[in-house]
Amino acid sequence: MDHRKYMKILKLDEAELRSRRAFFELTEADLARLASLRPFAEKVTDDTVEEFYRLLLSHPETKKFFPDELTVRRVKRTQREYFLGLFAGRCDLAYMEDRLRVGAIHEQIGLATKWYLGAYRKYLSIIKKHLIAEIGDPEEVRSAFESIQKLVYFDVALACDTYLAAKLDALERHQAAIRELSTPVIRVYDRVLLLPLVGAIDSHRANQVMDSVLTQVGQTQAKVIIIDIAGVPVVDTRVADSLIKTTAAVRLLGAETILTGITAQVARTIVQLGVDVSAMHTLSRLADGIELALSLVGKAVQPAETKKRRRRKRSEAEER
Amino acid sequence: MNGSIPILRIGEILVASVQTELRDRVANAFQEDVLNTLETTGATGLVIDISGLEVVDTYVARVLAETGQMAKLMGASTVLVGMRPEIAATLIRMAYPMGGIDTALNLQEGLALFGRRKKKKK
Amino acid sequence: MSGETLERSEMKIDSEDDIILVRRKVRDFASACAFDVFATSAVTTAASELARNVWTHAGGGFATVEKVSEDARLGVRAEFRDNGPGIPDIERVLAGGYSTARTMGLGLSGSKRLVDEFEIESAPGRGTRITFTKWARY
Repeated sequence: MDHRKYMKILKLDEAELRSRRAFFELTEADLARLASLRPFAEKVTDDTVEEFYRLLLSHPETKKFFPDELTVRRVKRTQREYFLGLFAGRCDLAYMEDRLRVGAIHEQIGLATKWYLGAYRKYLSIIKKHLIAEIGDPEEVRSAFESIQKLVYFDVALACDTYLAAKLDALERHQAAIRELSTPVIRVYDRVLLLPLVGAIDSHRANQVMDSVLTQVGQTQAKVIIIDIAGVPVVDTRVADSLIKTTAAVRLLGAETILTGITAQVARTIVQLGVDVSAMHTLSRLADGIELALSLVGKAVQPAETKKRRRRKRSEAEER
Repeated sequence: MNGSIPILRIGEILVASVQTELRDRVANAFQEDVLNTLETTGATGLVIDISGLEVVDTYVARVLAETGQMAKLMGASTVLVGMRPEIAATLIRMAYPMGGIDTALNLQEGLALFGRRKKKKK
Repeated sequence: MSGETLERSEMKIDSEDDIILVRRKVRDFASACAFDVFATSAVTTAASELARNVWTHAGGGFATVEKVSEDARLGVRAEFRDNGPGIPDIERVLAGGYSTARTMGLGLSGSKRLVDEFEIESAPGRGTRITFTKWARY
């Protein structure tokens, strides 16, 4: 996935950047210190990258991400850039976007977060070792490491975010697929349609339902459509509103809508929300809805007892 | 006249089919024709078939509603038939007030509506 | 508004016929973005409303219709500009408050409901500019 899309999904804007920097206590002073450590960074970058990859290549499960020498050389180059990027003295939206891009690549190749976090730990360990060796003064080392740690953790948070964003994106795609499959309109009788709605209805699905219903009514020239909502877990104002809109649109086509599956809970919600459904046919049981629909198209339903009574009458007549 | 909407008569019902874009000239002429025909025939019903209309914006909706209102003043009730599903969806989504206008699925249903009403009166 | 323009068409609105031309252009772009029939109807109707407003209330103006893309999704964008009298109280007109401008208000508020993004700049004596975008849905 495009890292810019990640920025959108995760809502990474100026406000979010400020919030994160504040929580990670990443100040301008830190960034200035990191910039001043640039010469140190340039000096130790090769050693750092080498030692870093020694861990990754020695562990069998991470080694497989670097199958050949060409790949190893390539990622070492990238890693050098990454390492030096920590000492550029900036942490803005462009920086975040860049770190997301790195995270995105790792997510795409399937590198699990455990390796990611373990690698960062090693990274910090190596850096600390070099700081002590190169800088010496304990107070300077401490404040230098503080600043580096803040930015590294900031980066780790972004890396974790990319994994989250990727999962959210996949989820969205699956949900879209499910929506596609879940608005089946059934023809229960000549010019009588039935739509059993199952599952949560968000605004996107509500729109889809309306379009589906109208298309079906138009295509089949149905006179009545029954929408059963017994399978919808939550009926809030948005859902009620979309059902009202659908009914109004179906009426414009010259057909009627019957809403069934109204549970006690839903009836209570609708009245308490103050939604006006008086212009709609609403019923609790689907069977009643079908009976009403059939009467609307001029076909009366014969109750079963009548048939039984008729049979009895016939046999009584035969006996005589 | 080019682009004018022909008005047919089936018993006491007038039937008009709007196939083209309802431009000003055409709309005005249509309204004129409807009123004149209602006057000369004394028809009590008007069916407007809009299955040929691809776009119904507020202007077109207003023209249709006005025509219905004018016909009503002359003692004829109006039924709109054949609205395309996407038109219905758009009108409702726009929250355009469509109250008070009768609709039916198609011409046959529209005419049947008048037939049923006549039976009721008897 | 965000996104990059893939195709653009500059049009004038000087007559009733131009309204229809703008509508057709918007429909063509909608088609090119694989909009379904409902989305096409929505965006075409919105364009028709706004083009008609330009012609009726400002006596004429311009429209720019674009095919835009952002993050692999496609959309139709249209901008309507005129040097007409401007809209004095946009919020109230959108809510249908002014009786004289009611028809314009209905078209305006209606159009807003049919699209995804909607921006309006207008002031008395300063003309009006309205831009909307509708994105394709998967």
